Amino acid sequence: MSLAWLIPALSVAAFVLLTFAGRRMPGGGAIVSLVAVAAGFGLAVYGCLDLWAADVEVNVGPGPFAMDFVNAGDLSLQLGMVIDSLSITMLLIVTFLSFVIQLYSVGYMRGDPRIHWFFAVVALFTAAMLGLVLANNLIILYVSWELVGLCSYLLIGYWWEKPSAREAAKKAFVTTRIGDVGLLIGILVLFKATGSFEIDQIFAQLRVGAIPGETVTLAAILMFLGAMGKSGQFPLHVWLPDAMEGPTPVSALIHAATMVTAGVYLVARMFPLFVASDVAMLVVLTIGTITAILAALLALVETDMKRVLAYSTISQLGYMMFALGTGSVTAAMLHLGGHAFFKALLFLGAGAVMHSTGGIVDINRLGGLRRKMPVTTWTFVIGALSLAGFPLLSGFWSKDLILSSAFDGGHWVTFVVGVVTAGLTAFYMFRVIFRVFFGEARSDEARNAHPAERLLTLPLVVLAFFAVVFGWLGSQLVGDPFGRFVFAVEQVEAHGESIWVIVASSAAAIAGILTAYSVYQRNRPPAASIRAAAGGIHTFLAKSAYIDAMYQWMIDNVSLGLAAFVAVFDRRVVNDAGVDGAGASVRLSGRTLRRSVTGLLYNYAALMVVGILALAIGLVLAG
Amino acid sequence: MIEAVPLEHVVLLATILFGIGLYGVLSRRNAVAVLMAVELMLNAVNINFIGFGMYLAPDPTVGQIIAIFVITVAAAEVALGLAIVLQIFRRKSNINVDELDLLRW
Repeated sequence: MSLAWLIPALSVAAFVLLTFAGRRMPGGGAIVSLVAVAAGFGLAVYGCLDLWAADVEVNVGPGPFAMDFVNAGDLSLQLGMVIDSLSITMLLIVTFLSFVIQLYSVGYMRGDPRIHWFFAVVALFTAAMLGLVLANNLIILYVSWELVGLCSYLLIGYWWEKPSAREAAKKAFVTTRIGDVGLLIGILVLFKATGSFEIDQIFAQLRVGAIPGETVTLAAILMFLGAMGKSGQFPLHVWLPDAMEGPTPVSALIHAATMVTAGVYLVARMFPLFVASDVAMLVVLTIGTITAILAALLALVETDMKRVLAYSTISQLGYMMFALGTGSVTAAMLHLGGHAFFKALLFLGAGAVMHSTGGIVDINRLGGLRRKMPVTTWTFVIGALSLAGFPLLSGFWSKDLILSSAFDGGHWVTFVVGVVTAGLTAFYMFRVIFRVFFGEARSDEARNAHPAERLLTLPLVVLAFFAVVFGWLGSQLVGDPFGRFVFAVEQVEAHGESIWVIVASSAAAIAGILTAYSVYQRNRPPAASIRAAAGGIHTFLAKSAYIDAMYQWMIDNVSLGLAAFVAVFDRRVVNDAGVDGAGASVRLSGRTLRRSVTGLLYNYAALMVVGILALAIGLVLAG
Repeated sequence: MIEAVPLEHVVLLATILFGIGLYGVLSRRNAVAVLMAVELMLNAVNINFIGFGMYLAPDPTVGQIIAIFVITVAAAEVALGLAIVLQIFRRKSNINVDELDLLRW
């Protein structure tokens, strides 16, 4: 795997080429970016087979490719890569989805005046994400981490003519930044404790107990703060629904399938650190649980199709986090992979709907699209079933693994919340399906929708296939090949699939689907009466649980108050006393001392004599 | 054989000469007179060099050599000074140092 560095490098090259020459290429030069990422995927497959052929039990650790990057004093940084089952899994997911979604974008973004810039940034994003996945030291990881954040910002604000897109881009950047600062401090805490940025050296010191317990907890929680920002965990999740202002392929690639899972990957990569601290594991578990249920509840009342999917993404990321919190990296990674496929599928389906109806995302204005867009409809249904955890589909196996590990670990609250969330997930997804694809069209745009073109439906079919089969990799029925491949070194416990867990989660999913059918298809009871009955709860959820309002209040009162204080300090102390004060004192001393410059020769001569005499007397007295 | 002048006399003469020169520099208003007073001070210094050279230095010629150097430098300085005075006179028809106060605040 000495060629591993080529995987991100190709996409970087595509970015550079497209930035400078993309404007003059047909179709914005999408072909360059597609070829780069396809080659990356090929290399990743090759690496995977390589790793598979080797003894998977021992193949964890840094790859062979490493070179000196920085040598300064005691600090030496190796620019290296980790090729292990964890990173290979991510590599495959990222390159494959990036390819499929870019293919879709060729159709979706056709005719956009800045299309070359779109493909350039997507290529840069892919490169940064691959760098993040392959990083073997925390500096490279952090740089890539920030780069994907930058690409996310650029792509959310891609249609910067829209004020809402600009605002959403800023919100995403600032919110994730709060977490990123935590990550940076966490990295520095680890460096101070171990003197190394290299992940396996840090683990080596951790294993021999060279890092004090409190430091481990502190570093783990700070790093988790970064993961919370990137992966949209409560309370830093507020940016993700707004990020849907970007083009839909971007929502699919970055804000559903890959970038937002970077936080999960970070925790999985640094898992030995988290396992070493019970407090940190509890924090991960708690935040994940809260996020899963809260986002599912918020998705219930959202009427914007893409925002429902965004809340669903947040909720599923919560699942992955609490899976990590219960100690199961395998479950989290399996869910990450499965989710990447079916959530990308759902987003691309939503994009196809928008493309066919001229950009309608309000589910109350759509309806009856199943006759106009059969392929989109049925692939969307498959994606939703998989997401809901319908038996034998991809999401079923991973959700099951997650719930099993909560069940076996004795985390009862989390287990119950997980089951309830599974039911809610099924309900809100089928609410969208019945509103959008079934029933009668509720607007002219929906009535006049045209079928999606082949370039848009082909990726849907491909993704639907994986949305069905991916989870089987983690199934006990076929011997759990995924679990054996992406086993975690420090896996806390092995778990079997309890029949009760399967029954509970399947029942919840089917109940959710049936309830949605009853409410939104048969109108029994009508949605309006439920809303009336819920009253205050509905208002609470419709206002996003007042989290945005709370942030607004904090900005208005705390941040701006602090800013006003700093502004006064700056004006009075720094400006008036500091800068102006220095000038005034110089002017005053100048005005005083100029009196001594009389221009009279004998004054100077006399002063000189007095000075020399004083010096001479001083010398004599000093002896 | 004539008895050598004692060092005290030499120093006394130099002091008196230096004092006269200093008085001239501080009190004369004519720039040429100021220059002449400066020459007096320089000569006082020369006398000191020669006197101390004779009595205290291992080799008396050292003081004499320095005195010759000072005379040379003083000649150059006077030439420069007189040239400046000449230029001032051409511009202001006047060489009164009291009125040369262009650099005054």
